[in-house]
Amino acid sequence: MNEARPEPWSRVLWKTQPFSDNHIPPKLFLVSLQRNPNLEPYSYWRLVHASCAVTQHLSTIYFFLAVFIRLKENQLDPRTLVYISVGCFLAGYFTWNVLDSAEPSSERNANHLKALKSSIMMFLALMSLSPVLRTLSAATSSDSIWALAAILFILNALLANYTASKSGGQIRDRLTSVLSMNAAVSASVVLASRLCTDVAVFALALFSVQAFALFPMLRQRLQTSLVAVWLFLTMFMAASAVYLLASLSQIVMWLGLFMLFFITLIAPIILIWAQRYKNIIRGPWDVAVPKVN
Amino acid sequence: METLSIAMISDFFHPAVGGVENHIYMLSANLLRKGHKVIVITHSHPQGRVGIRWLLPCLKVYYIPFLPIASSATLPNFFTSLPYLRTILLREHIHLIHAHASLSSIGHEGILHSHLMGIRTVFTDHSLFGFDDAASILTNKLMVGTLKNVDAVICVSHTGRENTVLRGQLFDRDSEDPSKLVVRSNIYVIPNAIVAEHFKPCPQPPSDTITIVVLSRLAYRKGIDLLVATAPRICALFPNVNFVVGGDGPKLIDLLQMREKHLLQDRIELLGPVRPGDVLSVLSRGSIFMNTSLTESFGIAILEAACAGLYVVSTRVGGVPEILPEDMISFAEPEEDDVVRAISEAIFIVSQGKHDPLQAHERMKTFYDWDQVTARTEVVYHTVMRSKQIELWERMQSTMALGPFAGPIYTIILIVDCIFFLFLEWWFPREDLDFVHDHWDPKVFAEVGLLFSRSSFTGDFICFCVARKR
Repeated sequence: MNEARPEPWSRVLWKTQPFSDNHIPPKLFLVSLQRNPNLEPYSYWRLVHASCAVTQHLSTIYFFLAVFIRLKENQLDPRTLVYISVGCFLAGYFTWNVLDSAEPSSERNANHLKALKSSIMMFLALMSLSPVLRTLSAATSSDSIWALAAILFILNALLANYTASKSGGQIRDRLTSVLSMNAAVSASVVLASRLCTDVAVFALALFSVQAFALFPMLRQRLQTSLVAVWLFLTMFMAASAVYLLASLSQIVMWLGLFMLFFITLIAPIILIWAQRYKNIIRGPWDVAVPKVN
Repeated sequence: METLSIAMISDFFHPAVGGVENHIYMLSANLLRKGHKVIVITHSHPQGRVGIRWLLPCLKVYYIPFLPIASSATLPNFFTSLPYLRTILLREHIHLIHAHASLSSIGHEGILHSHLMGIRTVFTDHSLFGFDDAASILTNKLMVGTLKNVDAVICVSHTGRENTVLRGQLFDRDSEDPSKLVVRSNIYVIPNAIVAEHFKPCPQPPSDTITIVVLSRLAYRKGIDLLVATAPRICALFPNVNFVVGGDGPKLIDLLQMREKHLLQDRIELLGPVRPGDVLSVLSRGSIFMNTSLTESFGIAILEAACAGLYVVSTRVGGVPEILPEDMISFAEPEEDDVVRAISEAIFIVSQGKHDPLQAHERMKTFYDWDQVTARTEVVYHTVMRSKQIELWERMQSTMALGPFAGPIYTIILIVDCIFFLFLEWWFPREDLDFVHDHWDPKVFAEVGLLFSRSSFTGDFICFCVARKR
């Protein structure tokens, strides 16, 4: 071997090299290390836009609780709530169809019929079940019910699916979002058992289906639609939820307002600040992802 | 050079079978032949394998009564092993412990305890870990604590070393320029080796059919999805190519379904689990070895196949690009199309007769050799023995530097360990220990070992057979 030009270090194991085993090549060590590959810095307004889904969901829960307390205190006529629910359903259904207008009309008519059939089924089922629901947990003390409902609503808020969906048709729900919906419906069932009349129970159950089963589906579609509509809807829902809470208790109102404000406007700032600590380390040691056609 | 008393500590040892187990056994056998005294400490195995056993050639194995929790690893509990290890290490007059594998908690505990007895520590890392899944994060955190105070680290590939340096934070601030980080100088790369005599190519009668051999655990990490996707395409492209697949695992069902769906029962043979002794006979049925692993720190199976004269096609992952020269292996990215391309290339090379199995075998002999690996490991041992031992105070300081949460926790563990050790010294004094006396002269033994290895029935081979027999 030429003394003047020693063989350069190469990254192989099969060759005996004129370097000690603990030699670390200064330039070549960790060359293939990648830090934060394809990192996308967050932008504030996009995060706010995304956090609106959470705000809307929390507003729905506040809304629901406010309605429940009014029903319980007999400040709200259950029949009015039924009318409101039906109205909301029709409005939501109309919006859904407007968003879905790309679909061919023949399929749409069939879908209308199916939706009509299942909503009538739902309506009747809830109506016939409401006496059962009213007495379902009559033997349980109210304190347990409040605690249970609180836990279920927290579970609902944590597990809900806040991502936007591009097109309608097949929305493949993940297990968590199904769990989330079930938690909310269970919470409303246990709460409904604290009400006095069957009509009230029916109204609340109907409202809960609107709020926790149907609205999240619509919300996911709306998220990809016009930004103005989305922001207006968020503001409207947050404002009306806070307004409904305000007449119940000042403290609860301020708490709710703060939470909505924090989640929509302050939490994104914290996330952007925290992103500077993001440190993804990638290298040849990572388990490769096989690409199969 | 002076001979040392070395204790290999790992959860993974015979009667379990695997790469780490075999590495420890072969390294120990070769160190014994060089005149060192070697013992192995591992956990017990069911059906009463507990206590002291001897393996050929006079390798003493301590099976400590600990129960493994999952895949032959014990639960990291830091203290319970101290009474056992203290007694064993003291009575065997151990100078140095060599812990193996980062998932072996008994190895980590050995590193934690041995400084109390003035014993030096070496750690060999055999695997690669990512940084972004829960299991890796926890293991890495455990490992950082141990590796802060280890005297030397050996990795099996350059990729493995980069990975271990990052996982174990094996770098310090530069003394001249504190903003720069320098990697510690006690991290070595020493590859595994194979016993070339065990993988002699068996010349096959010339025929038109080319057989592709796959020998691996049939699991996701071994890239069986790629095999399932590419095998039917290869079969359709080359009517003279057959597959032989050996191994067992959760992905066996996928392979069976693929075979059924594409009606390839006569082209793809599934052997099921292959015993270590039958590996050569499976390998010698084919002329191309296919490895679709998604991660691999060294890839000993590839070397065995290459040594048996097969041309290798492998995914370019982990340490695989380092182990063979470019003309003995074709690389593919872990993508279906690229694997098909690489296999086609290999089939072309093999069918043109450009790959000579016997020549490949002769070359492999010069690449990897246990004698050489042992000599390189000895250099590490002697360097460690000559270096200054880390003082307890220094140890505590570097442990505190682990982080705001992990630092104090590990320091408390360290201090409690010291107190526990003092308690044991009082409760079970050194004078009362049953010390081991050597009955043989290491020099005579080394001579006998050499004689033995020169004879037709090589020493290695007998040990190998014994160690691999359950």
